[in-house]
Amino acid sequence: EPSSKSIENMRKFSEQYARRSGTYFCADKSVTSVVIKGLAEHKDTLGAPLCPCRHYDDKPAEASQGFWNCPCVPMRERKECHCMLFLTPENDFAGKDQTISADEIKDLTASLG
Amino acid sequence: EDEFEAAVLKSELPVLVDFWAEWCGPCKLVAPVVDWASEEYAGKLEVYKVDTDKSPGLVEKYKLYGLPTLVMFKNGGIVSESRREGAITKAKIKSYLDDFLQS
Repeated sequence: EPSSKSIENMRKFSEQYARRSGTYFCADKSVTSVVIKGLAEHKDTLGAPLCPCRHYDDKPAEASQGFWNCPCVPMRERKECHCMLFLTPENDFAGKDQTISADEIKDLTASLG
Repeated sequence: EDEFEAAVLKSELPVLVDFWAEWCGPCKLVAPVVDWASEEYAGKLEVYKVDTDKSPGLVEKYKLYGLPTLVMFKNGGIVSESRREGAITKAKIKSYLDDFLQS
């Protein structure tokens, strides 16, 4: 499990970045919650929020290189977030929120390992 | 990874494989849809899920880095054009599988 400090950092980052980029969280916020925890987990273990929706041959090298550190290059350049964390308004899966509380993250991931 | 060969590559039926990772949000969305497919297509299709963190060799072999990835295996090999990245609805997986099984 990632640390509460990293989860909180990534939660705040996600809210700020959604606002800044004009994107929205997934209508199903369990997706948002899982991804935020994944970013927090990588922040704890690698020192950087490496995208949790990819596999890497060498995670530390990828974290240093930075292409896939959130917000990743595809997101920054084209608003493409395949983690479904930041969704453009026309995306079928986009909800209306740009906020998510710590309790929501906790509750929506409670059943996971 | 050892079981993969026996279960997937030697299967007589086509196999749907779902490559996922623990903290991948869209992978969680896809999981119940894949479970549904496993029941709906029982007898016509085998269905397996691969945790990519536990099976890095398979990811490297088949170059399936974006997650989730759904892909079909048939007659001991991957069907490259069946590769599909990202979340998928039940309706879309049905049409994906129906098209594949009819071809």
